[in-house]
Amino acid sequence: MNRFGLADLGIGLGLRTVHYAHILEQRPAVDWFEIISENYLETSGRPLDFLDAIAEHYPIVMHGVSLSIGSTDPLNREYLRQLRELRDRVKARWVSDHLCWTGVASRNSHDLLPMPYTEEALAHVVSRMKQAQDFLGAPIALENPSTYAELSGASMPEWEFLARLAELADCAILLDVNNVYVSAHNHGFDPALYLDAMPFDRVVQLHVAGHTDHGTHIIDSHIGPVVEPVWELLALAHRRAAGVPILLEWDAEIPAFEVVHREALRARELIGEAL
Amino acid sequence: MKRESTTDALGLHERASATPEHAPANREARVGSAPGWASGELSLRSHQEWFLAVIMTPEHEPAPVDSTSAGRLVTPSSTLSSLARLEIYRRSYQARLIECLADDYPVLQATLGEETFEGLCRAYIDKHPSTEPSLNRFGRHMADFCRNHPFSEPDFAADLAALEWAVVLAIHAPTAPPLTAQDLARIPIESWPEIRLVPNPSLGVHAFDYPVNAYLSARRRGEAPALPVARHCSVAVYRTEQSVWRLELTPPMATLVESLSRGETLGGSLSLVAAQLDGVPEAEAAQNVTTWFSHAVSSGLFSGIRS
Repeated sequence: MNRFGLADLGIGLGLRTVHYAHILEQRPAVDWFEIISENYLETSGRPLDFLDAIAEHYPIVMHGVSLSIGSTDPLNREYLRQLRELRDRVKARWVSDHLCWTGVASRNSHDLLPMPYTEEALAHVVSRMKQAQDFLGAPIALENPSTYAELSGASMPEWEFLARLAELADCAILLDVNNVYVSAHNHGFDPALYLDAMPFDRVVQLHVAGHTDHGTHIIDSHIGPVVEPVWELLALAHRRAAGVPILLEWDAEIPAFEVVHREALRARELIGEAL
Repeated sequence: MKRESTTDALGLHERASATPEHAPANREARVGSAPGWASGELSLRSHQEWFLAVIMTPEHEPAPVDSTSAGRLVTPSSTLSSLARLEIYRRSYQARLIECLADDYPVLQATLGEETFEGLCRAYIDKHPSTEPSLNRFGRHMADFCRNHPFSEPDFAADLAALEWAVVLAIHAPTAPPLTAQDLARIPIESWPEIRLVPNPSLGVHAFDYPVNAYLSARRRGEAPALPVARHCSVAVYRTEQSVWRLELTPPMATLVESLSRGETLGGSLSLVAAQLDGVPEAEAAQNVTTWFSHAVSSGLFSGIRS
Protein backbone atom coordinates (compact mmCIF):
# COMPACT_ATOMS: atom_id res chain seq x y z
CA MET A 1 0.00 0.00 0.00
CA ASN A 2 1.26 3.48 -0.87
CA ARG A 3 1.68 6.12 1.81
CA PHE A 4 -1.47 7.95 0.67
CA GLY A 5 -3.74 4.97 1.28
CA LEU A 6 -5.01 5.05 -2.31
CA ALA A 7 -6.56 1.74 -3.23
CA ASP A 8 -5.24 -0.90 -5.59
CA LEU A 9 -8.05 -0.72 -8.13
CA GLY A 10 -6.66 -3.55 -10.24
CA ILE A 11 -6.21 -3.35 -14.00
CA GLY A 12 -7.95 -0.48 -15.75
CA LEU A 13 -8.42 1.01 -19.18
CA GLY A 14 -8.42 4.51 -20.56
CA LEU A 15 -12.05 5.41 -21.28
CA ARG A 16 -12.48 6.25 -24.98
CA THR A 17 -15.61 7.45 -26.78
CA VAL A 18 -15.53 4.65 -29.34
CA HIS A 19 -16.11 2.20 -26.49
CA TYR A 20 -18.94 4.04 -24.70
CA ALA A 21 -21.72 2.00 -26.27
CA HIS A 22 -19.99 -1.34 -25.65
CA ILE A 23 -19.32 -0.49 -22.03
CA LEU A 24 -22.86 0.62 -21.32
CA GLU A 25 -24.48 -2.27 -23.15
CA GLN A 26 -22.15 -5.12 -22.19
CA ARG A 27 -20.83 -3.97 -18.79
CA PRO A 28 -17.49 -5.70 -19.32
CA ALA A 29 -15.61 -6.89 -16.24
CA VAL A 30 -13.08 -4.07 -16.15
CA ASP A 31 -11.71 -3.08 -12.75
CA TRP A 32 -11.74 0.68 -13.38
CA PHE A 33 -11.54 3.42 -16.00
CA GLU A 34 -9.31 6.43 -16.32
CA ILE A 35 -10.66 9.52 -18.08
CA ILE A 36 -8.85 12.40 -19.72
CA SER A 37 -10.21 15.14 -17.48
CA GLU A 38 -10.26 17.87 -20.14
CA ASN A 39 -12.65 15.90 -22.36
CA TYR A 40 -15.31 16.50 -19.72
CA LEU A 41 -14.63 20.19 -19.08
CA GLU A 42 -16.31 23.03 -20.98
CA THR A 43 -19.27 20.77 -21.60
CA SER A 44 -22.66 20.30 -20.01
CA GLY A 45 -23.92 17.68 -22.40
CA ARG A 46 -23.41 14.31 -23.93
CA PRO A 47 -19.84 13.58 -22.74
CA LEU A 48 -20.96 14.07 -19.14
CA ASP A 49 -24.11 12.00 -19.66
CA PHE A 50 -21.99 9.05 -20.79
CA LEU A 51 -19.47 9.57 -18.02
CA ASP A 52 -22.16 9.72 -15.36
CA ALA A 53 -23.65 6.47 -16.63
CA ILE A 54 -20.27 4.72 -16.65
CA ALA A 55 -19.28 6.11 -13.25
CA GLU A 56 -22.35 4.46 -11.76
CA HIS A 57 -20.79 1.08 -12.43
CA TYR A 58 -17.01 1.55 -12.41
CA PRO A 59 -14.43 3.39 -10.31
CA ILE A 60 -13.09 6.44 -12.15
CA VAL A 61 -9.66 8.07 -11.97
CA MET A 62 -9.04 11.48 -13.56
CA HIS A 63 -5.95 11.98 -15.68
CA GLY A 64 -5.33 15.52 -16.87
CA VAL A 65 -3.24 17.09 -19.61
CA SER A 66 -3.60 20.81 -18.86
CA LEU A 67 -2.55 21.36 -15.25
CA SER A 68 0.67 22.75 -16.70
CA ILE A 69 2.33 22.49 -13.32
CA GLY A 70 5.70 23.62 -14.65
CA SER A 71 4.44 26.73 -16.44
CA THR A 72 5.55 30.17 -15.31
CA ASP A 73 2.04 31.49 -15.88
CA PRO A 74 -0.10 31.77 -12.74
CA LEU A 75 -1.90 28.56 -11.76
CA ASN A 76 -5.27 28.45 -13.47
CA ARG A 77 -7.64 28.39 -10.52
CA GLU A 78 -10.73 28.24 -12.67
CA TYR A 79 -9.36 25.07 -14.23
CA LEU A 80 -8.65 23.65 -10.77
CA ARG A 81 -12.17 24.53 -9.70
CA GLN A 82 -13.56 22.66 -12.69
CA LEU A 83 -11.34 19.68 -11.90
CA ARG A 84 -12.56 19.63 -8.33
CA GLU A 85 -16.18 19.84 -9.47
CA LEU A 86 -15.73 16.98 -11.94
CA ARG A 87 -13.89 14.88 -9.34
CA ASP A 88 -16.73 15.32 -6.89
CA ARG A 89 -19.35 14.65 -9.54
CA VAL A 90 -17.94 11.28 -10.63
CA LYS A 91 -16.37 10.45 -7.25
CA ALA A 92 -12.98 10.07 -8.89
CA ARG A 93 -10.54 8.14 -6.69
CA TRP A 94 -7.70 10.54 -7.43
CA VAL A 95 -6.48 13.14 -9.91
CA SER A 96 -3.28 12.94 -11.90
CA ASP A 97 -1.42 15.01 -14.48
CA HIS A 98 2.10 15.30 -15.89
CA LEU A 99 5.48 16.65 -14.90
CA CYS A 100 5.56 19.19 -17.70
CA TRP A 101 4.24 22.54 -18.83
CA THR A 102 1.79 23.01 -21.69
CA GLY A 103 1.95 26.72 -22.39
CA VAL A 104 2.90 30.19 -21.29
CA ALA A 105 1.60 33.73 -21.81
CA SER A 106 -1.96 32.32 -21.70
CA ARG A 107 -1.38 30.11 -24.72
CA ASN A 108 -1.89 26.36 -24.47
CA SER A 109 0.02 24.07 -26.83
CA HIS A 110 -1.88 21.02 -25.51
CA ASP A 111 1.44 19.22 -25.62
CA LEU A 112 3.40 17.91 -22.65
CA LEU A 113 6.50 20.08 -22.94
CA PRO A 114 9.78 19.25 -21.22
CA MET A 115 11.03 20.98 -18.11
CA PRO A 116 14.60 22.07 -17.58
CA TYR A 117 15.70 19.93 -14.63
CA THR A 118 17.24 22.74 -12.59
CA GLU A 119 17.00 23.81 -8.96
CA GLU A 120 14.99 26.87 -10.07
CA ALA A 121 12.46 24.70 -11.88
CA LEU A 122 12.25 22.28 -8.95
CA ALA A 123 11.47 25.03 -6.45
CA HIS A 124 8.89 26.45 -8.87
CA VAL A 125 7.06 23.15 -9.39
CA VAL A 126 7.16 22.23 -5.70
CA SER A 127 5.50 25.51 -4.80
CA ARG A 128 2.80 25.10 -7.42
CA MET A 129 2.13 21.47 -6.54
CA LYS A 130 1.52 22.46 -2.95
CA GLN A 131 -0.94 25.14 -4.08
CA ALA A 132 -2.75 22.80 -6.46
CA GLN A 133 -3.03 20.04 -3.85
CA ASP A 134 -4.26 22.51 -1.25
CA PHE A 135 -6.90 23.66 -3.72
CA LEU A 136 -8.07 20.12 -4.43
CA GLY A 137 -7.67 19.06 -0.84
CA ALA A 138 -5.98 15.83 -1.89
CA PRO A 139 -2.67 14.60 -3.23
CA ILE A 140 -2.16 14.82 -6.98
CA ALA A 141 -0.21 12.11 -8.81
CA LEU A 142 2.32 13.46 -11.29
CA GLU A 143 3.32 11.33 -14.24
CA ASN A 144 6.76 11.19 -15.80
CA PRO A 145 6.30 12.34 -19.42
CA SER A 146 7.76 10.99 -22.64
CA THR A 147 10.19 13.60 -23.90
CA TYR A 148 11.89 14.18 -27.22
CA ALA A 149 14.22 16.99 -26.16
CA GLU A 150 16.36 17.63 -23.12
CA LEU A 151 16.78 21.24 -22.17
CA SER A 152 20.31 22.47 -21.63
CA GLY A 153 21.49 23.50 -18.21
CA ALA A 154 20.00 20.54 -16.33
CA SER A 155 21.65 19.96 -12.98
CA MET A 156 20.00 16.59 -12.34
CA PRO A 157 18.36 13.77 -14.30
CA GLU A 158 14.59 13.59 -14.60
CA TRP A 159 14.25 10.72 -12.13
CA GLU A 160 16.04 12.71 -9.43
CA PHE A 161 13.91 15.76 -10.19
CA LEU A 162 10.70 13.73 -9.92
CA ALA A 163 11.77 11.94 -6.72
CA ARG A 164 12.80 15.18 -5.01
CA LEU A 165 9.64 16.93 -6.20
CA ALA A 166 7.45 14.17 -4.78
CA GLU A 167 9.23 14.37 -1.45
CA LEU A 168 9.25 18.17 -1.18
CA ALA A 169 5.67 18.69 -2.38
CA ASP A 170 4.41 15.52 -0.70
CA CYS A 171 2.72 14.46 -3.89
CA ALA A 172 2.08 11.07 -5.47
CA ILE A 173 3.65 9.61 -8.60
CA LEU A 174 1.99 8.01 -11.58
CA LEU A 175 4.84 5.99 -13.06
CA ASP A 176 4.45 5.44 -16.80
CA VAL A 177 6.86 2.66 -17.69
CA ASN A 178 6.33 3.19 -21.41
CA ASN A 179 7.39 6.81 -20.95
CA VAL A 180 10.46 5.65 -19.06
CA TYR A 181 11.28 3.37 -21.97
CA VAL A 182 10.63 6.06 -24.61
CA SER A 183 12.68 8.73 -22.85
CA ALA A 184 15.47 6.25 -22.09
CA HIS A 185 15.71 5.47 -25.78
CA ASN A 186 15.46 9.12 -26.85
CA HIS A 187 18.04 10.36 -24.37
CA GLY A 188 20.27 7.33 -24.01
CA PHE A 189 19.91 6.32 -20.38
CA ASP A 190 19.27 2.99 -18.69
CA PRO A 191 15.58 2.67 -17.71
CA ALA A 192 16.62 0.63 -14.66
CA LEU A 193 18.27 3.76 -13.28
CA TYR A 194 14.92 5.53 -13.43
CA LEU A 195 13.14 2.78 -11.53
CA ASP A 196 15.94 2.54 -8.98
CA ALA A 197 15.41 6.20 -8.10
CA MET A 198 11.65 6.03 -7.63
CA PRO A 199 10.24 6.36 -4.10
CA PHE A 200 7.80 3.49 -4.61
CA ASP A 201 5.81 4.28 -1.51
CA ARG A 202 4.63 7.36 -3.45
CA VAL A 203 3.77 5.50 -6.66
CA VAL A 204 -0.01 5.15 -6.72
CA GLN A 205 -0.52 4.03 -10.31
CA LEU A 206 1.35 2.53 -13.26
CA HIS A 207 0.74 3.32 -16.92
CA VAL A 208 1.60 1.12 -19.83
CA ALA A 209 1.09 1.79 -23.55
CA GLY A 210 2.30 1.16 -27.06
CA HIS A 211 4.66 3.47 -28.94
CA THR A 212 6.12 4.02 -32.39
CA ASP A 213 9.81 3.51 -33.05
CA HIS A 214 11.16 5.77 -35.79
CA GLY A 215 14.70 4.52 -35.43
CA THR A 216 16.19 7.88 -34.53
CA HIS A 217 13.62 8.38 -31.80
CA ILE A 218 10.50 6.85 -30.31
CA ILE A 219 7.12 8.62 -30.23
CA ASP A 220 4.73 7.95 -27.35
CA SER A 221 1.83 7.37 -29.72
CA HIS A 222 -0.28 5.04 -27.50
CA ILE A 223 -0.80 2.93 -30.57
CA GLY A 224 -0.77 -0.82 -30.92
CA PRO A 225 0.19 -3.47 -28.39
CA VAL A 226 2.78 -2.99 -25.67
CA VAL A 227 6.28 -4.21 -26.54
CA GLU A 228 7.96 -6.86 -24.41
CA PRO A 229 10.67 -4.62 -22.87
CA VAL A 230 7.93 -2.32 -21.59
CA TRP A 231 6.03 -5.25 -20.09
CA GLU A 232 9.27 -6.25 -18.36
CA LEU A 233 9.62 -2.74 -16.93
CA LEU A 234 6.03 -2.95 -15.74
CA ALA A 235 6.67 -6.23 -13.95
CA LEU A 236 9.76 -4.75 -12.32
CA ALA A 237 7.91 -1.62 -11.20
CA HIS A 238 4.94 -3.62 -9.95
CA ARG A 239 7.20 -5.82 -7.84
CA ARG A 240 8.63 -2.74 -6.16
CA ALA A 241 5.31 -1.01 -5.68
CA ALA A 242 3.22 -3.84 -4.34
CA GLY A 243 -0.50 -3.39 -4.72
CA VAL A 244 -0.42 -0.60 -7.27
CA PRO A 245 -3.13 -0.35 -9.96
CA ILE A 246 -2.18 -0.63 -13.63
CA LEU A 247 -3.71 1.15 -16.58
CA LEU A 248 -3.36 0.57 -20.32
CA GLU A 249 -3.58 3.60 -22.63
CA TRP A 250 -4.53 3.06 -26.29
CA ASP A 251 -5.30 6.32 -28.12
CA ALA A 252 -4.70 5.89 -31.83
CA GLU A 253 -6.22 3.40 -34.25
CA ILE A 254 -8.24 2.15 -31.31
CA PRO A 255 -9.45 -1.41 -31.91
CA ALA A 256 -12.54 -3.15 -30.54
CA PHE A 257 -12.98 -3.00 -26.80
CA GLU A 258 -12.19 -6.69 -26.35
CA VAL A 259 -8.82 -6.27 -28.04
CA VAL A 260 -7.83 -3.40 -25.76
CA HIS A 261 -9.11 -5.26 -22.71
CA ARG A 262 -7.25 -8.41 -23.65
CA GLU A 263 -4.03 -6.43 -24.02
CA ALA A 264 -4.50 -4.87 -20.59
CA LEU A 265 -5.12 -8.25 -19.02
CA ARG A 266 -1.69 -9.38 -20.17
CA ALA A 267 -0.50 -7.37 -17.19
CA ARG A 268 -2.26 -9.81 -14.88
CA GLU A 269 -0.48 -12.81 -16.37
CA LEU A 270 2.80 -10.97 -16.27
CA ILE A 271 2.46 -9.84 -12.71
CA GLY A 272 1.45 -13.34 -11.70
CA GLU A 273 4.60 -14.67 -13.30
CA ALA A 274 6.72 -11.95 -11.81
CA LEU A 275 5.43 -12.67 -8.37
CA MET B 1 -39.61 18.73 -42.88
CA LYS B 2 -37.29 15.82 -42.48
CA ARG B 3 -35.45 15.46 -39.24
CA GLU B 4 -32.07 13.82 -39.45
CA SER B 5 -29.83 12.49 -36.74
CA THR B 6 -26.12 13.09 -36.94
CA THR B 7 -25.24 10.79 -34.07
CA ASP B 8 -23.90 7.78 -35.90
CA ALA B 9 -21.73 9.71 -38.28
CA LEU B 10 -20.39 12.09 -35.71
CA GLY B 11 -16.69 11.61 -35.25
CA LEU B 12 -16.20 13.48 -32.03
CA HIS B 13 -13.01 12.03 -30.65
CA GLU B 14 -11.39 12.64 -27.34
CA ARG B 15 -8.13 14.38 -26.67
CA ALA B 16 -5.42 12.24 -25.14
CA SER B 17 -2.01 12.44 -23.56
CA ALA B 18 -0.42 10.60 -26.49
CA THR B 19 1.82 12.31 -29.02
CA PRO B 20 0.12 12.26 -32.41
CA GLU B 21 1.91 10.39 -35.15
CA HIS B 22 3.21 12.50 -37.98
CA ALA B 23 5.86 12.26 -40.65
CA PRO B 24 9.31 11.46 -39.25
CA ALA B 25 10.86 14.65 -38.06
CA ASN B 26 14.51 13.76 -38.48
CA ARG B 27 15.06 16.49 -41.02
CA GLU B 28 16.68 19.76 -40.22
CA ALA B 29 14.30 22.55 -39.37
CA ARG B 30 14.54 25.47 -41.71
CA VAL B 31 16.81 27.96 -40.11
CA GLY B 32 15.78 31.46 -39.16
CA SER B 33 17.65 34.16 -37.35
CA ALA B 34 18.57 33.76 -33.70
CA PRO B 35 16.36 35.75 -31.34
CA GLY B 36 18.07 38.45 -29.37
CA TRP B 37 17.09 36.91 -26.05
CA ALA B 38 18.76 33.59 -26.86
CA SER B 39 21.96 34.76 -25.28
CA GLY B 40 23.10 34.99 -21.69
CA GLU B 41 21.57 33.12 -18.74
CA LEU B 42 17.96 32.07 -19.35
CA SER B 43 15.34 32.07 -16.65
CA LEU B 44 12.65 29.38 -16.59
CA ARG B 45 10.27 31.96 -18.01
CA SER B 46 12.58 32.78 -20.89
CA HIS B 47 13.11 29.09 -21.59
CA GLN B 48 9.39 28.61 -21.89
CA GLU B 49 8.72 31.70 -23.98
CA TRP B 50 11.45 30.65 -26.35
CA PHE B 51 10.34 27.02 -26.57
CA LEU B 52 6.73 27.95 -27.21
CA ALA B 53 7.66 30.54 -29.83
CA VAL B 54 9.59 27.86 -31.71
CA ILE B 55 6.91 25.18 -31.69
CA MET B 56 4.07 27.60 -32.48
CA THR B 57 5.83 28.97 -35.54
CA PRO B 58 3.85 27.77 -38.59
CA GLU B 59 5.60 25.06 -40.56
CA HIS B 60 5.83 27.18 -43.71
CA GLU B 61 7.89 29.74 -41.82
CA PRO B 62 11.50 29.25 -40.79
CA ALA B 63 12.01 28.14 -37.20
CA PRO B 64 12.79 31.24 -35.17
CA VAL B 65 16.15 29.90 -34.04
CA ASP B 66 19.35 28.91 -35.78
CA SER B 67 21.31 25.82 -34.91
CA THR B 68 23.62 27.70 -32.54
CA SER B 69 20.73 29.07 -30.50
CA ALA B 70 18.94 25.74 -30.55
CA GLY B 71 22.10 23.99 -29.35
CA ARG B 72 22.37 26.34 -26.41
CA LEU B 73 18.89 25.52 -25.25
CA VAL B 74 18.25 21.90 -26.26
CA THR B 75 20.95 19.25 -26.20
CA PRO B 76 21.34 17.08 -29.30
CA SER B 77 20.93 13.32 -28.99
CA SER B 78 23.18 10.75 -30.61
CA THR B 79 20.74 10.58 -33.53
CA LEU B 80 19.02 13.97 -33.73
CA SER B 81 20.27 17.55 -33.80
CA SER B 82 18.87 20.10 -31.40
CA LEU B 83 16.76 21.59 -34.17
CA ALA B 84 15.41 18.20 -35.23
CA ARG B 85 14.35 17.50 -31.64
CA LEU B 86 12.54 20.80 -31.49
CA GLU B 87 10.92 20.02 -34.80
CA ILE B 88 9.23 16.95 -33.25
CA TYR B 89 7.40 19.26 -30.86
CA ARG B 90 6.59 21.79 -33.58
CA ARG B 91 5.02 19.14 -35.79
CA SER B 92 3.17 17.51 -32.88
CA TYR B 93 1.69 20.86 -31.91
CA GLN B 94 0.23 21.34 -35.37
CA ALA B 95 -0.81 17.68 -35.80
CA ARG B 96 -2.75 17.53 -32.53
CA LEU B 97 -4.75 20.66 -33.26
CA ILE B 98 -5.41 19.67 -36.87
CA GLU B 99 -6.78 16.35 -35.56
CA CYS B 100 -9.04 18.28 -33.22
CA LEU B 101 -10.40 20.48 -36.04
CA ALA B 102 -10.89 17.43 -38.26
CA ASP B 103 -12.99 15.87 -35.48
CA ASP B 104 -15.19 18.96 -35.37
CA TYR B 105 -15.37 19.55 -39.14
CA PRO B 106 -15.37 16.17 -40.91
CA VAL B 107 -17.61 17.26 -43.79
CA LEU B 108 -15.70 20.49 -44.33
CA GLN B 109 -12.56 18.37 -44.46
CA ALA B 110 -14.08 15.96 -46.99
CA THR B 111 -15.33 18.87 -49.08
CA LEU B 112 -12.08 20.80 -49.20
CA GLY B 113 -9.83 17.77 -49.50
CA GLU B 114 -6.97 16.89 -47.16
CA GLU B 115 -4.43 19.39 -48.45
CA THR B 116 -6.68 22.45 -48.52
CA PHE B 117 -8.23 21.56 -45.17
CA GLU B 118 -4.82 21.13 -43.59
CA GLY B 119 -3.70 24.49 -44.97
CA LEU B 120 -6.86 26.07 -43.59
CA CYS B 121 -6.22 24.49 -40.19
CA ARG B 122 -2.61 25.64 -40.06
CA ALA B 123 -3.70 29.20 -40.79
CA TYR B 124 -6.49 28.88 -38.20
CA ILE B 125 -4.12 27.57 -35.54
CA ASP B 126 -1.77 30.47 -36.18
CA LYS B 127 -4.59 33.02 -35.96
CA HIS B 128 -6.50 31.45 -33.06
CA PRO B 129 -4.06 29.63 -30.76
CA SER B 130 -5.72 27.78 -27.91
CA THR B 131 -5.93 29.66 -24.64
CA GLU B 132 -8.04 27.17 -22.68
CA PRO B 133 -7.31 23.91 -20.84
CA SER B 134 -9.89 22.01 -22.89
CA LEU B 135 -10.02 21.76 -26.68
CA ASN B 136 -13.80 21.42 -26.69
CA ARG B 137 -14.26 25.04 -27.85
CA PHE B 138 -11.07 25.38 -29.87
CA GLY B 139 -12.81 25.25 -33.26
CA ARG B 140 -15.42 27.88 -32.50
CA HIS B 141 -14.01 30.56 -34.84
CA MET B 142 -13.91 28.37 -37.94
CA ALA B 143 -16.99 29.73 -39.75
CA ASP B 144 -15.82 33.33 -39.54
CA PHE B 145 -12.32 32.25 -40.40
CA CYS B 146 -13.51 30.45 -43.55
CA ARG B 147 -15.39 33.52 -44.72
CA ASN B 148 -12.14 35.44 -44.90
CA HIS B 149 -9.91 32.63 -46.12
CA PRO B 150 -8.60 32.82 -49.69
CA PHE B 151 -10.20 29.76 -51.23
CA SER B 152 -12.75 29.45 -54.00
CA GLU B 153 -16.06 29.20 -52.10
CA PRO B 154 -15.48 30.93 -48.77
CA ASP B 155 -19.14 31.70 -48.10
CA PHE B 156 -20.25 28.13 -48.71
CA ALA B 157 -17.39 26.81 -46.56
CA ALA B 158 -18.35 29.26 -43.82
CA ASP B 159 -21.97 28.09 -43.85
CA LEU B 160 -20.90 24.45 -43.78
CA ALA B 161 -18.52 25.11 -40.88
CA ALA B 162 -21.26 26.97 -39.03
CA LEU B 163 -23.59 23.99 -39.38
CA GLU B 164 -20.94 21.54 -38.18
CA TRP B 165 -20.14 23.80 -35.23
CA ALA B 166 -23.85 23.96 -34.40
CA VAL B 167 -23.73 20.17 -34.05
CA VAL B 168 -20.77 20.44 -31.68
CA LEU B 169 -22.62 23.03 -29.61
CA ALA B 170 -25.67 20.76 -29.39
CA ILE B 171 -23.48 17.90 -28.15
CA HIS B 172 -22.09 20.00 -25.33
CA ALA B 173 -25.33 21.72 -24.35
CA PRO B 174 -27.21 20.49 -21.28
CA THR B 175 -29.59 17.58 -21.64
CA ALA B 176 -33.28 18.13 -20.89
CA PRO B 177 -36.34 15.91 -21.34
CA PRO B 178 -38.57 17.17 -24.17
CA LEU B 179 -41.97 18.80 -23.76
CA THR B 180 -44.70 16.33 -24.71
CA ALA B 181 -48.22 16.61 -26.05
CA GLN B 182 -49.37 15.26 -22.67
CA ASP B 183 -47.67 18.19 -20.93
CA LEU B 184 -49.57 20.59 -23.16
CA ALA B 185 -52.84 18.74 -22.69
CA ARG B 186 -52.70 19.58 -18.99
CA ILE B 187 -52.96 23.30 -19.81
CA PRO B 188 -56.58 24.55 -20.11
CA ILE B 189 -57.21 25.36 -23.75
CA GLU B 190 -58.22 28.93 -22.92
CA SER B 191 -54.77 29.51 -21.43
CA TRP B 192 -52.86 28.39 -24.51
CA PRO B 193 -52.50 31.82 -26.14
CA GLU B 194 -50.67 33.11 -23.05
CA ILE B 195 -48.28 30.23 -22.45
CA ARG B 196 -44.58 30.61 -23.11
CA LEU B 197 -42.39 27.61 -23.86
CA VAL B 198 -38.93 26.73 -22.63
CA PRO B 199 -36.69 25.90 -25.59
CA ASN B 200 -34.62 22.73 -25.50
CA PRO B 201 -31.33 24.03 -24.00
CA SER B 202 -29.41 22.63 -26.94
CA LEU B 203 -31.61 24.29 -29.58
CA GLY B 204 -30.07 26.67 -32.06
CA VAL B 205 -31.90 28.02 -35.10
CA HIS B 206 -29.39 28.86 -37.81
CA ALA B 207 -29.91 30.72 -41.08
CA PHE B 208 -27.65 29.93 -44.03
CA ASP B 209 -27.15 31.43 -47.49
CA TYR B 210 -26.48 27.96 -48.93
CA PRO B 211 -28.48 24.72 -48.57
CA VAL B 212 -25.79 23.22 -46.37
CA ASN B 213 -28.12 20.92 -44.46
CA ALA B 214 -29.03 18.92 -47.57
CA TYR B 215 -25.39 18.98 -48.61
CA LEU B 216 -24.22 17.68 -45.24
CA SER B 217 -26.83 14.92 -45.31
CA ALA B 218 -25.66 13.82 -48.75
CA ARG B 219 -22.07 13.72 -47.54
CA ARG B 220 -23.09 11.67 -44.52
CA ARG B 221 -24.70 9.18 -46.89
CA GLY B 222 -21.33 8.82 -48.58
CA GLU B 223 -22.24 10.85 -51.64
CA ALA B 224 -20.01 13.52 -53.18
CA PRO B 225 -22.50 16.18 -54.28
CA ALA B 226 -21.52 19.20 -56.33
CA LEU B 227 -21.26 22.44 -54.40
CA PRO B 228 -24.79 23.88 -54.38
CA VAL B 229 -25.78 27.32 -55.61
CA ALA B 230 -26.83 29.84 -53.01
CA ARG B 231 -30.32 29.31 -51.55
CA HIS B 232 -31.47 30.43 -48.13
CA CYS B 233 -32.20 27.75 -45.56
CA SER B 234 -32.96 27.66 -41.83
CA VAL B 235 -32.00 24.68 -39.71
CA ALA B 236 -32.83 23.85 -36.11
CA VAL B 237 -29.96 21.89 -34.53
CA TYR B 238 -30.60 20.32 -31.15
CA ARG B 239 -30.17 17.19 -29.10
CA THR B 240 -32.59 14.79 -27.44
CA GLU B 241 -30.85 12.31 -25.15
CA GLN B 242 -27.78 11.19 -27.12
CA SER B 243 -29.02 12.05 -30.62
CA VAL B 244 -28.25 15.34 -32.33
CA TRP B 245 -30.88 16.38 -34.83
CA ARG B 246 -30.91 18.73 -37.80
CA LEU B 247 -34.41 19.88 -38.74
CA GLU B 248 -34.74 22.06 -41.82
CA LEU B 249 -37.40 24.72 -41.27
CA THR B 250 -39.67 26.46 -43.74
CA PRO B 251 -39.67 30.29 -43.33
CA PRO B 252 -42.96 30.35 -41.36
CA MET B 253 -41.83 27.52 -39.12
CA ALA B 254 -38.50 29.24 -38.55
CA THR B 255 -40.44 32.34 -37.50
CA LEU B 256 -42.57 30.26 -35.14
CA VAL B 257 -39.64 28.46 -33.52
CA GLU B 258 -37.54 31.61 -33.20
CA SER B 259 -40.41 33.55 -31.69
CA LEU B 260 -41.22 30.84 -29.14
CA SER B 261 -37.53 30.43 -28.34
CA ARG B 262 -37.32 34.15 -27.58
CA GLY B 263 -39.99 33.65 -24.96
CA GLU B 264 -42.92 35.16 -26.87
CA THR B 265 -46.36 33.81 -26.01
CA LEU B 266 -47.84 31.05 -28.12
CA GLY B 267 -50.65 33.34 -29.25
CA GLY B 268 -48.23 36.11 -30.23
CA SER B 269 -45.97 33.69 -32.05
CA LEU B 270 -48.83 32.12 -34.00
CA SER B 271 -50.08 35.57 -35.01
CA LEU B 272 -46.61 36.43 -36.24
CA VAL B 273 -46.62 33.35 -38.43
CA ALA B 274 -50.18 33.91 -39.64
CA ALA B 275 -49.18 37.37 -40.81
CA GLN B 276 -46.64 35.73 -43.11
CA LEU B 277 -49.31 33.59 -44.75
CA ASP B 278 -50.74 36.40 -46.78
CA GLY B 279 -53.22 35.11 -49.35
CA VAL B 280 -53.66 31.71 -47.73
CA PRO B 281 -57.29 31.05 -46.77
CA GLU B 282 -57.81 31.52 -43.05
CA ALA B 283 -58.87 27.94 -42.31
CA GLU B 284 -55.89 26.53 -44.21
CA ALA B 285 -53.51 28.94 -42.49
CA ALA B 286 -54.85 27.93 -39.09
CA GLN B 287 -54.46 24.29 -39.98
CA ASN B 288 -50.88 24.84 -41.17
CA VAL B 289 -49.88 26.75 -38.08
CA THR B 290 -51.34 24.07 -35.82
CA THR B 291 -49.52 21.36 -37.73
CA TRP B 292 -46.22 23.22 -37.54
CA PHE B 293 -46.60 23.81 -33.84
CA SER B 294 -47.38 20.12 -33.22
CA HIS B 295 -44.41 19.15 -35.31
CA ALA B 296 -42.09 21.49 -33.40
CA VAL B 297 -43.26 20.03 -30.10
CA SER B 298 -43.12 16.38 -31.19
CA SER B 299 -39.64 16.90 -32.62
CA GLY B 300 -38.32 17.85 -29.20
CA LEU B 301 -37.55 21.52 -29.86
CA PHE B 302 -38.99 22.51 -26.48
CA SER B 303 -38.47 21.17 -23.04
CA GLY B 304 -41.18 22.75 -20.92
CA ILE B 305 -43.73 25.44 -20.23
CA ARG B 306 -42.66 28.56 -18.38
CA SER B 307 -44.37 28.84 -15.05
